[in-house]
Amino acid sequence: MTMYSRLTGVNYVLPAMALLMLVLFSPVLYGFWFSLFRIQYGAPTDFAGLENYARLLDDTELGATLERSALFTCCAVALTLVIALALAVWINRLGQRLGFVVQMIVILPWIISTVVATLLFRWVFVSDIGLAGSLVRMAGIPDVQLLNNPGSAMALLIGVSVWKRVGYAVIILLAGLKGIPDDYEEAAKIDGANPWQIFWLIVLPLLKTPLLLVTIVLTLSNLNTVETPLVLTGGGPGDATRILPIEVFDRAFVTFDLGSATALALVMFAGNILLVLAYVRLAKWKT
Amino acid sequence: MMQRRQLLNTLAAFGCVLASTLIPQAPASAQTKTIRMWTFLSATGTTPREVALAQIIKNYEAANPGTKIVVETQVWDQMTPKFLAAHRAGNAPDISWVVTDFLGDAIGSGSLADLNELFIRKWPAEQVKDHASAYWDLTKKGDKQYAMFASPNYISIVYRADLLKAAGIDPASIKTWDDLRAAAEKLTVKNAAGQVTRYGYAQGFSEQQADPHMMIPYLLGEGEQLFKPNGKANFASPSGVAGMTFATDLIKKYQVSPSQSATWTVDDLFEQFSSDRVAMIQGPSVRVSSLQAKLGKENVGQMLWPGNGKTAHSPAVMAGWAVGVWSKGPNKEEAGRFVDYFLGAESEKIWVTVGGQSPLMASTAKAVASFVDQPGNGYIRVAGEGASKYGWLTPIEFNVGGYRQALNKATQRILVDGVAVKAALEEAETRFNRQNNR
Repeated sequence: MTMYSRLTGVNYVLPAMALLMLVLFSPVLYGFWFSLFRIQYGAPTDFAGLENYARLLDDTELGATLERSALFTCCAVALTLVIALALAVWINRLGQRLGFVVQMIVILPWIISTVVATLLFRWVFVSDIGLAGSLVRMAGIPDVQLLNNPGSAMALLIGVSVWKRVGYAVIILLAGLKGIPDDYEEAAKIDGANPWQIFWLIVLPLLKTPLLLVTIVLTLSNLNTVETPLVLTGGGPGDATRILPIEVFDRAFVTFDLGSATALALVMFAGNILLVLAYVRLAKWKT
Repeated sequence: MMQRRQLLNTLAAFGCVLASTLIPQAPASAQTKTIRMWTFLSATGTTPREVALAQIIKNYEAANPGTKIVVETQVWDQMTPKFLAAHRAGNAPDISWVVTDFLGDAIGSGSLADLNELFIRKWPAEQVKDHASAYWDLTKKGDKQYAMFASPNYISIVYRADLLKAAGIDPASIKTWDDLRAAAEKLTVKNAAGQVTRYGYAQGFSEQQADPHMMIPYLLGEGEQLFKPNGKANFASPSGVAGMTFATDLIKKYQVSPSQSATWTVDDLFEQFSSDRVAMIQGPSVRVSSLQAKLGKENVGQMLWPGNGKTAHSPAVMAGWAVGVWSKGPNKEEAGRFVDYFLGAESEKIWVTVGGQSPLMASTAKAVASFVDQPGNGYIRVAGEGASKYGWLTPIEFNVGGYRQALNKATQRILVDGVAVKAALEEAETRFNRQNNR
């Protein structure tokens, strides 16, 4: 390859790279610069070095918030993956028309606005004029206050997150399933493999790429979601559902501490990148 | 030759048409000024205050054909921080409503223009005197007036007049905190199965859309302050502990307030109130007219907080909205002219009679006296009396953002996690001080 042809390739990608730098990386760089200053009234004043980051380390409650974020993300991603995979396999076996109808139903929660969908859940579960409370009382069961109990509030938050994102996961996994040639399954049947062996030894390995993609997207979206916990539980009761995005939101917009809010957001950003790299590495994804 | 003349005629005609279209356009576009205003109200909404807002804007635009007021509705609890961020980014609106909790930040950031320079200096002395109130003083720093209040908000007890009447309770008879508890007990109703179908009193304790906690009037009534002079929290003082104990005992000990309210937002609270599930709530005067629109004008009233036996009434938090002009805005003069009208005598009558707000100007209070005397409008007098005698405004010398959330979280910790009152308040103090670098 000559120098000229190498430069031609660079020239082709240069505009796209410049746009990416402008749109994706410049806010990060600006945010990092911003986080190195003391912020007063929303404007940087004195250079503070890593003081805003050091304040994060001094915050004794941040560790627990991180743990809750990890619990919420792991549970939500795992549940979404299992349910989505089961649904995708089932839809793949349905006839074309019925399969299409089920796909449409499954994807509905994903296309509804997160705030609207979460508000609907809140109105169902809010004590005690909510639909859930009324149904429970009609059944003669003592009033259950899901949003007021730390455990059930977190479970509800995970449930809403799974409900919201399962449609996206189903569509991606279904596309992966449709891409597996029927010959593989037929050959396995001829060799005497049972349905479980076909799924475990043939289908699942061939779904590695869509599974990895879905896992990454779900992890990032759950780790960074603020609308769902903000509208559904507000981080409560107590600190039961206080996860990292709520912490950033409160620092930025409740106490207006933009310095530590930016520092925390950037730490989360770095965490996101590390997670993606770890996933790709663990899955030994080769291009 | 003929063809050339035809061509010239055609070009001349085209030129005339072009000129005729351009001439009227140029002055029109130069004269029309668009003034952007951020508020949490919608100019197309149907609540009383939104109707008042639309009417005032309509009146102003009719009198000033060259000005267009564009209302950009914002989420109320995020609007002021967003305005400060927009000021820094250089794209704030010409006018913004600013909440009391962030008033100090808004003034300190230099985001608000001096209204004295824009229009107040042209006022006669009597007009300035007409505005005198604690709200006016709060927005004044040195010889500069940075904002004027549009929505004075007196947060005390909003009650269902019909339910209190049915229970034989006269709101004027609730003079002490014990009276309030006794009234709440009387108003709490249970069905045959022992389930509560209506609670006597409630407040929302969610951290989102948080209103000031009822322990604040209790604490202030005892002569304590919520913040120390250096801006640190003073929540766990003996009076603070007593106030919080009173509030949580209504739920835990006396069961006249719902335990579910630990996670209720302000909006949840109003839904419960409107659904006959609660007879008395902690509520702001600015929402009474909306509640009356739902429940009937004579069925919703407002009363002052009770006293402690030594004082007639405990001070209530006055957490209203001030209106300011963006200091870096390109249309400061026009924006100032609009604010002058928007908060002037003519408009304030609309804010009171249509919007259901209490008056800020002494002249308006006199002018609307007969309106206030009408059935169902007594809350306007209550809010006015409270604001002049029993009001408390958050200090602006330091940032107090997050104090409502800190106290609500403390309540959740007591109710849900079983933490002791003093320990929960000390936690809240630590959190508030840390969040504010104090």
